[in-house]
Amino acid sequence: MVVSSSSDNWIGASLLRKEDARHLLGHGMFIADVRMPGVQDVAFVRSDMAHAQVRRVIKPVGGTAQVFTLSDLDPMHILEAGPELAAHRHSPYPALSDGRVRYVGQPIAACIAPSRALAEDLADHVEVELEALPAVVDCVAAMKPGSPRLFDTWPDNAFIASSVQEGDPALAQAPIRLRRQLRMNRQATVSLECRGVLAHWDHRHDELVVYLSTQGGHVVRIGLARALGLPENKVRVIAPDVGGGFGGKNRIMPEDIAVAALALKVGHPVRWIEDRREHLVASVHARDHFYDLTISAKADGTLLGVEGEVYIDAGAYSLWPTGSFMEASMASRNLTGPYRIQHLNLKTFTVATNKAPMGPYRGVARPGACFAIERLVDEVARELGREPFDLRRQNIVTAGELPYRTAAGMRLDTGDYVAALESARDMIDLPAIRARQAKPEPDGRAIGVGFAFYTEQSGHGTVEWVKRKSRVVPGYESANVRMQPDGSLIIHVGTQNHGQGHETTLAQIAAHELSLDPSQISIRYGDTATTPFGFGTFASRSIVFAGGAVARSCRMLIEKIRKIGAHLLQTDVTSTRIEAGAVHGPSGSVSFAEIAYAANVRQEHLPVGMDPLLDVTGTYEPTETGGVFAYGTHAVVVAVEPDTGVVEILDYAVSEDCGTMINPMIVDGQVQGGIAQGIGTALYEEIPYDEIGQPLATTFGDYMVPCAPEIPTVRLHHLVHPAEATEYGVKGLGEGGAIAPPAAIANAIADAFRGIGASFNETPLTPRRVSEAIDRARRAKADGTSPAP
Amino acid sequence: MTAITVELNGVKVVDDVEPRLSLADFLRDRCGLTATHLGCEHGACGACTVMVDGLATRSCLTLAAMADGRSVSTLEGLRGDPLMALLRRHFHESHALQCGFCTPGMLIAARDILQRHTRPDDKTVRHELSGQICRCTGYANIVKAIVAAGQKMPQEPSPPPPAATSQS
Repeated sequence: MVVSSSSDNWIGASLLRKEDARHLLGHGMFIADVRMPGVQDVAFVRSDMAHAQVRRVIKPVGGTAQVFTLSDLDPMHILEAGPELAAHRHSPYPALSDGRVRYVGQPIAACIAPSRALAEDLADHVEVELEALPAVVDCVAAMKPGSPRLFDTWPDNAFIASSVQEGDPALAQAPIRLRRQLRMNRQATVSLECRGVLAHWDHRHDELVVYLSTQGGHVVRIGLARALGLPENKVRVIAPDVGGGFGGKNRIMPEDIAVAALALKVGHPVRWIEDRREHLVASVHARDHFYDLTISAKADGTLLGVEGEVYIDAGAYSLWPTGSFMEASMASRNLTGPYRIQHLNLKTFTVATNKAPMGPYRGVARPGACFAIERLVDEVARELGREPFDLRRQNIVTAGELPYRTAAGMRLDTGDYVAALESARDMIDLPAIRARQAKPEPDGRAIGVGFAFYTEQSGHGTVEWVKRKSRVVPGYESANVRMQPDGSLIIHVGTQNHGQGHETTLAQIAAHELSLDPSQISIRYGDTATTPFGFGTFASRSIVFAGGAVARSCRMLIEKIRKIGAHLLQTDVTSTRIEAGAVHGPSGSVSFAEIAYAANVRQEHLPVGMDPLLDVTGTYEPTETGGVFAYGTHAVVVAVEPDTGVVEILDYAVSEDCGTMINPMIVDGQVQGGIAQGIGTALYEEIPYDEIGQPLATTFGDYMVPCAPEIPTVRLHHLVHPAEATEYGVKGLGEGGAIAPPAAIANAIADAFRGIGASFNETPLTPRRVSEAIDRARRAKADGTSPAP
Repeated sequence: MTAITVELNGVKVVDDVEPRLSLADFLRDRCGLTATHLGCEHGACGACTVMVDGLATRSCLTLAAMADGRSVSTLEGLRGDPLMALLRRHFHESHALQCGFCTPGMLIAARDILQRHTRPDDKTVRHELSGQICRCTGYANIVKAIVAAGQKMPQEPSPPPPAATSQS
């Protein structure tokens, strides 16, 4: 039995996207575009202190019925968030303050008015009396005895402390031992569309309808129903077009619950559309890792071990469902990188501070871990007087060693890491850069070249998520494939397209399986009332899981189509083949349209005893649930102005492998877009807090999102080593682009100043940080001392 | 309230607006034209860019009252515009959009660039785009699309508008 497409092989075709047309015409339907008769806008009164008791909330005269505090809403359940570990401490996070506020921006009251402007007017007239408490703003100091505490019932400020110990501690007793402190500072996720929620009670269906800009409506519905005390069949979550997420729209946030509760209370539709200031101050924050690590190596450059401490500044609360413990576990488990490092001894601290709660952001923890290990590798190379590239080449896992189990227990599956390294080196032309560096630049700038290697775990299933003690276990995805009476196809999936091109790639997969044209296939998502249960789009999982679910469901469907076709052709199923949207037998063919018509509306033509309909729901999980690993090497050339510290990227080359590509055009777009975000982390984006916990970047005037002049067009090379555990050999790739840029760029800047030994171990590498590091190193060199690590 | 008369996408619109109402909110909430998106509401991201009297303008920083007596074009009003059709085609073929939220503002800005520059090169387009944020694409394909559209423009661009800078 053969399935072959009439003309095209859709797997691997750079099909132009089906979702483009509506956006190009301005027909996109984002959360703020949803029109609902009678809707009123919500503005939140937020804490302007980092840590305080709320003494009083005084509602304005004439506005008391439009201003809501927690006690004005019906009682709600607090969702316990974070891993299901007894050692993980509960940080009760109410939708509106329960008398204590723990970060600037925490919602205290909600004001409802016919327009946002009027709601903000009302919010301006709400008086809040706060009694300041000492703010905890440094995650390392927060763990010192005597530090003020966020939660009175906790013995210290750790959500959880943990450790990773693998390998022989004797390995650490090595001739080379370098200790470095590295920091990746706090940033926002900055989807260009901010968050938003619109909720109303639909009387016809007798249910709460929540329009939400989210990456995963089904999981949100579980949380909302629990928080509000409603059965899940009375809650419908609809995600319209979502204007970017990157992780920042993958947790339940207090505003989501508050607006839903308000809708239940006031009896008319209410909505809240986040503004950019709210987004920067009170949406998901990310990164904020501090590493104090010692790397050990033999004199010949063999890397042996990594020891030390990892601090995650997780902000004030755990966000449902999973909190931010995965930051610490993923950071520590990725600290061996792709190298044969046998010894790990790490203590990790996930620390509560008076800052906005941490959530996932593209790359989750791995940008920090990659930055740490790849900087350390360069530091060892500098110590040994070696070319950093050669040290990587010496220590990296080779193709012959794959699959390789790292010291932290991750199974690196397929690929050729050496080939990725070497092709990136050739693309960037390392010898030419070294030759260029031998002469001073005419403009006085210093040239540096940096490499970074990343792996990207994707498509990890049940076992991995259970190991992480995840509160929900996103170990599968589902697809409902429904052939209409005319033979066209509608597929509902539980993932959430928000820029990734699923309407195109999932249609390509179905087209491949069913020998149809993608134009005959509609992909639908984003509505809990119509789609089968799924976990949403995050963790580079959608092409593996949703792609697999579509493939599997289509195969189940095609078997039934074939049986009906054989019956209509009066032949045996084994003598049929599928081609060009028809079942072919020895003496003729019957189109899917005829078969679908019979299956749906002319069931007298079906084989005796066969159920009507062509409607299949299937689920999918890869055969290896530890995940499949995409990987790649980033190579970057920078020019740095030493006195101002301004960094320009002169060249950026990537050699990557995400297995089989369903749509190479979309893959390239994901890599380029991820790198732009990684460059933001490396050089520009930061939300600093002052010593009393005030956020210092609250507009795009002081939060620097890179624009077209700052982002180079990346030169891309693809290696293709298919995964063995997934459909078609795909690996997830959405996050990879964002992982390596901070490491590669910091290595390039350090390379430019390797002669004076300047350290660049903190992101973003703003002009001030770069120029100060150079200045420190110059002074130290002049004094004959060594600069602080 | 302030009485305003605006030529909106070629149609005369008369309304009474609060003096503080932004042009963006006027377009979106009072006129139902939701192609114009709001990404920051402080003039930094460019998602709300529209044309006012032929100049690319931040509608979030412009009051509706300031549009009185002026001509305003949004993406909805440029659906039949040949240059916009060319740009849409190249944005599609170059994969110059992902989530689509920045796209309307990008298209208006791109059209403005091609009206002011003949066959602009990569560097010119990047410089001119410095007021538009896209969080998904990393810009490469947007630049590629605009450069390609510039190459395909059938005629010389119309003379530049009177003001040297086009952003409000």
